[in-house]
Amino acid sequence: MENEDLIKKLEEISLPKIEIKSHKKGLSLVLMKKYSPERKRAELFNIFKKLIPAGAIAVILFFFIFNNLNSPKYNLAKAKEIALQNNEIKDWLQQGSTIKDIKIADGKAYVLIEPPEEKKEQEELAPVSLKSEGVSQENIAEEKFGGAFVEVNIKEKEVKNIKKLAPIVTSLMEIKKEKVLEIVNKSWEVQEKVPKEAEVLNINVPTPKFRLSKDGGSVSAIPETETEEKASIIYKSDGHRWEGKINLTKEEVEEVNFLGEIKNGATFEESNR
Amino acid sequence: MNLNEERDLVRKAKKDPEAFSELYEKYYSQIFGYILKRVANLEISQDVTSETFLKALKNLWQFRWRNIPFSSWLYRIANNEIVNYFRKQKGKKVSLEKIAEPISADNIELEFIEAQEELKKHQDFLKAQEKISKLDIKYQEVIVLRFFEKKQIKEISEILGKKEGAIKSLLHRGIEKLKDEFFETN
Repeated sequence: MENEDLIKKLEEISLPKIEIKSHKKGLSLVLMKKYSPERKRAELFNIFKKLIPAGAIAVILFFFIFNNLNSPKYNLAKAKEIALQNNEIKDWLQQGSTIKDIKIADGKAYVLIEPPEEKKEQEELAPVSLKSEGVSQENIAEEKFGGAFVEVNIKEKEVKNIKKLAPIVTSLMEIKKEKVLEIVNKSWEVQEKVPKEAEVLNINVPTPKFRLSKDGGSVSAIPETETEEKASIIYKSDGHRWEGKINLTKEEVEEVNFLGEIKNGATFEESNR
Repeated sequence: MNLNEERDLVRKAKKDPEAFSELYEKYYSQIFGYILKRVANLEISQDVTSETFLKALKNLWQFRWRNIPFSSWLYRIANNEIVNYFRKQKGKKVSLEKIAEPISADNIELEFIEAQEELKKHQDFLKAQEKISKLDIKYQEVIVLRFFEKKQIKEISEILGKKEGAIKSLLHRGIEKLKDEFFETN
């Protein structure tokens, strides 16, 4: 049998033309009965379908806003903004102080303000205010701004408390300077290289810095602990200067160097420039 | 009814049950006839036709007019329902006897017996259909649509959602396979 023969055979087949009226009528009734509920369902589905994109956008927006409002970054920025509105803090920052750290705990923000670096340098170059074992020193005993610990209430948008950190810093430095003198007075290297009559011109000790420490729901400002604290001491005698480098942690003099002669009464700092 | 009129009627059918009823009256016989030619069984034809129109009603509001006759959409649903019927066997059947109150159960039975008698008269069709039913569904669809429903290739491509070239190819391979079925029997 060829394809054409089969096609011809298929085309010539007498086909049944049957219609079961009872089924047609019965199905029609079922469809009419179901029409309204199906229409309502479809309309609801259409509304839901239209709401999906709007709902999705709303959900995304909600999460975006929620995350931004509650994110640590947002709270930190907000705390900084509130702190900057305080006149006292504003003055400190205008004088060169900086906001070193902000931490959030229990809906409150804690801001640590660090004093300007320039001020510290001046402080380091200032004469020592200590007297020890016959070494004469000049006196500076002026209370300085050593930073501040500020509590900010983010919800109420106000600075709740400002605690100045200066007195603690100064006392720590004094103790360290005393320790430097103690170490150099015991050192054979200093005794060997620096004349006995030499006087201490300056002691540079690492300025104690503060950091914020978060412990559970509370935040406090505590002194930073370094692995190795180092200091230096400058001696002068008969127009000559020496520098001793001290490891405060190991309590030893690491080296003593001759800095040279100062001509025409120039200071040590000037000769270094 | 031209395509534009049909489009308007479909649009109206989404709001008015009478318009949907009009569509049903227009296409019931055509769809029932097609399903009967596919399954050669009156009972199954009734069930699948019911499922086809119920599915059409359910999806009427999702139907988008694409300049293709509404009947093509119904044919496509019917094709899916035939496959579903044979896959499940336990298809959900709509009991029309309970709803069709004006016609008594005896009348339904009598009408059904008469319809079966009428079907039995078409032995050539039943034999050919038996052979066709042994082919893959994809060949059954194109052969019945082309030779029993007298559809053009373009119409078949619209119903099946395939390219005309693919339909021609399916028809050719279907005829080859059907020829083998006839040859085996002889």
